Amino acid sequence: MVMSMMEVPNSGTVYSSEELGRSLESSSGKTFGRRARLAFYNRTFKIVCIASAVFVCLILFSILFLMGRTGILTFETVSLKTFFFSTDWVPENEQYGAFVFIFGTIALTLLTMLISVPLSLLIAIFLSEMTPAWLKNALRPVLDLLVGIPSVVYGFLGLTILIPMLRSLTGTSLGDGILAAGIVLTIMVLPTISRITDDSIVAVPKKFRDASYALGSTRFQTIVRVVIPAARSGIMYAVILGMARAIGETMAVVMVIGNTPQLADALFKPTSVLTSNIVMQIPNVPFDSTWNYALYMMGFILLLISLIMIIAVRLIQGKGVKQ
Amino acid sequence: MSAGKTTADHPFAARKSLNQFNNKLFTTVVWVVGICTVIFIIALLFLILEKGLPKLDWGFLYGEPSEIEEGGGVGPLLFNSFYVLIISLLISIPLGMASGIYLAEFAPANKFIGFIRICVEGLASVPSIIFGLFGIVLFVESLDMGLTILGAAVSLAFLNLPVLTRVTEEAIRAVPQEMKSASFALGSTHLQTIRRVLIPVALNGIITGICLVAGRAFGESAVIILTGGVTSSGVMWDFNPLSPGATLAVHLWYVQSEAIVPDAQLIAEKSAAVLVFIVLLINIVFRVPLWINSRKMR
Amino acid sequence: MKTKWFRNIGLAVMALSLTFGSVSAVSAASKLSGRIVINGSSALLPLTLQAANEFKKLNPKVKISASAAGSVTGPQSVRKGIADIGACDWDASTDVPGFSKFTGQVANKVAVIPFAAVTNSSAGVTSLTNAQLSGIFSGKITNWKEVGGNDAKIVVVNRAFGSGTRVNFQIKALNGTDFMTKGDNYIEVKSSGDMKTKVETTPNAIGYIDLVYVSGSKMKAVSINNVAPTEANVINGTYKVWSYGYYMTKGQPTGAVKAFIDYVQSTKFQNGSLKKLKFIPLAAMKK
Repeated sequence: MVMSMMEVPNSGTVYSSEELGRSLESSSGKTFGRRARLAFYNRTFKIVCIASAVFVCLILFSILFLMGRTGILTFETVSLKTFFFSTDWVPENEQYGAFVFIFGTIALTLLTMLISVPLSLLIAIFLSEMTPAWLKNALRPVLDLLVGIPSVVYGFLGLTILIPMLRSLTGTSLGDGILAAGIVLTIMVLPTISRITDDSIVAVPKKFRDASYALGSTRFQTIVRVVIPAARSGIMYAVILGMARAIGETMAVVMVIGNTPQLADALFKPTSVLTSNIVMQIPNVPFDSTWNYALYMMGFILLLISLIMIIAVRLIQGKGVKQ
Repeated sequence: MSAGKTTADHPFAARKSLNQFNNKLFTTVVWVVGICTVIFIIALLFLILEKGLPKLDWGFLYGEPSEIEEGGGVGPLLFNSFYVLIISLLISIPLGMASGIYLAEFAPANKFIGFIRICVEGLASVPSIIFGLFGIVLFVESLDMGLTILGAAVSLAFLNLPVLTRVTEEAIRAVPQEMKSASFALGSTHLQTIRRVLIPVALNGIITGICLVAGRAFGESAVIILTGGVTSSGVMWDFNPLSPGATLAVHLWYVQSEAIVPDAQLIAEKSAAVLVFIVLLINIVFRVPLWINSRKMR
Repeated sequence: MKTKWFRNIGLAVMALSLTFGSVSAVSAASKLSGRIVINGSSALLPLTLQAANEFKKLNPKVKISASAAGSVTGPQSVRKGIADIGACDWDASTDVPGFSKFTGQVANKVAVIPFAAVTNSSAGVTSLTNAQLSGIFSGKITNWKEVGGNDAKIVVVNRAFGSGTRVNFQIKALNGTDFMTKGDNYIEVKSSGDMKTKVETTPNAIGYIDLVYVSGSKMKAVSINNVAPTEANVINGTYKVWSYGYYMTKGQPTGAVKAFIDYVQSTKFQNGSLKKLKFIPLAAMKK
């Protein structure tokens, strides 16, 4: 502030921060008070933004820290190799092999993405490019609404409607497994992915489309070659968000997956994933036991898996840009 | 687009008809998927609402829950739902938006910020139960508050922060550069540009994000069971933030998994219907300013 | 001017709060105050909630908040100091399979909980012996015809480790035999409600549940050793698969916590609401 006061006579090249857009230089005849006030507001606003970003990071890192610190205690009694590569999860007998759950989580997420990404892309295109305005206005809030349906309700519907249906379709005696969980998750992430994709497709400037049509492209070509590449960042974000939800979803998954610690090598075999195992067992374990630490470690791994998947998606996206 | 005029001597005839075919096929597929989705959504909503909605009455919405007799209501729980939602949004929207704006506008483009961005995305996938455990450590153990509305609301706000931050950042980034440049050219300061140009243009995306978050918060049960408990104070309009903080979604979980009231099934169906109905309402309420905004712009 | 205005407001607020304070003190039937946090067994939760509702009407100044996860959470939260009462389906001051005892805690009996083995009605059996149940739940018996039912594979539905129902069922119905942990026809569920839904909707399923939840025609409670799971049989001692429900406290309960436990154990509550919730009163067993 002192600096700026001193240099006011020199046509105001004071503001070192480029963010001000040099807008103030040209403002002739404005009084000093207004300028200082604006500068003050700008600076305060920036500080507020930085402070809240720092605060958010602080919370997030303390959660990370809590999970990591508790989780790492697992390895006092269990070797890394056993924890990551053994398929024997019998905590009652001190066997802590988490491979089944890690594998289950990855398999389930991939399966869900395999079904939901193409579907939601089509839905987003349908919403943004093909439907008349009235249908858009009616459908968008309804899709948003689907996100808000509690996962318990989805789980319950999966348990009472989807699983008996799968059972009668395939003739298996149980029906629980990653296919049932994958379908429930698909329904849950579909609105998230398709709505955000829809928003990012709408955000593509109209001139892109006009240019494409002017060059004689069909609608198919315009959408696939122009609109989707232009909206790619948003679509990737939508996929990441959907994937994040699929990896982290618990309440619905736990009702349809069967919760049995065995490898998910078939679509209809009761199995277990990281989240479902955590939520099933964490209320029931002694606080200061290896078992408890192992569950926290699994929460930490969950985070690592989603980080790896996010980075992978970003890398793929990066390659796409270069083409 | 007029396929009929294609003449045989046209050099690109084959390719053009292939393109036309692709185009038609694509249009058909999209329409079929779209219509199937519409039917599916309607069926799903119908499935959830048909059992509960017709049987709703004021007594259910306003009454106190009962453990023994049939006809218990969800009044205090419904109230808690709104109370928790409002407190958590009051905390998470300003924080989330401010840090989203920071990431989009102020943050330097270096590796560290990239790392933070990925961490924020990663945290959006952490199962809510972990936020619940964090809430327990913070509110129940460290601050010794017991199971409260405040604890539930703040834990819920933490849960929503990553999503809100990223949604805001994405939405602001999607604003065309020209608009920003134009604003600066007109002599606006950065703050004015953000407030008058970036946020209004990005509002559509931000509000979608808020709706997603509000809906998720409204239906969230795992966090609240751990930090708010499964009881309410049992009376309506209890504004004390230190009262026990069970919400309607928690009640739904409770009724479905443990309650022995004879009409548990019915209460569950009605609660689910109320939840879905209110999420719809929230969507509409949040969208009204958007509609007004878009009218104004045209 | 301004300060005076503030002072006036402050005075008004103080006066208001005084009035309200005195009014509520007068209207309250009891001088008891404090905060009770209850955590633990979800099977006892309906009872706890009902008791809390009634107790709060009598003692408006006591704040009760309850949550539930698994039985073992109860005594653990008490030990950690984050709950005053830990609801538990077994006496946590003694050792049970899988859980060592919690020293320094007092177990207060509050109710009798009967359990039942339940099957989907398609299974076609009405009675099983302890040995047959052990065989089924340990995975040695896999077809219903081996125990006199239809020719169909048995689907075993189990509760997660740590559930009080599971501990009691294992001790009292399976003679302590270990459960199976894997298999194509084996699943675990999280709560009594999930157990009920799963057994009702899965053909040839078997599970176990608190007797309270057994209703309707899709799920049948089977007799164990030819003794039907009824309240009368529990009271006359022929049906063995039941247990007490406990409120664990750190040392002997005091103050509001003691008053609450006393209320739950009182004849009025035991013979009134507790009976209506289909638990069995403590007094019935003291023969």
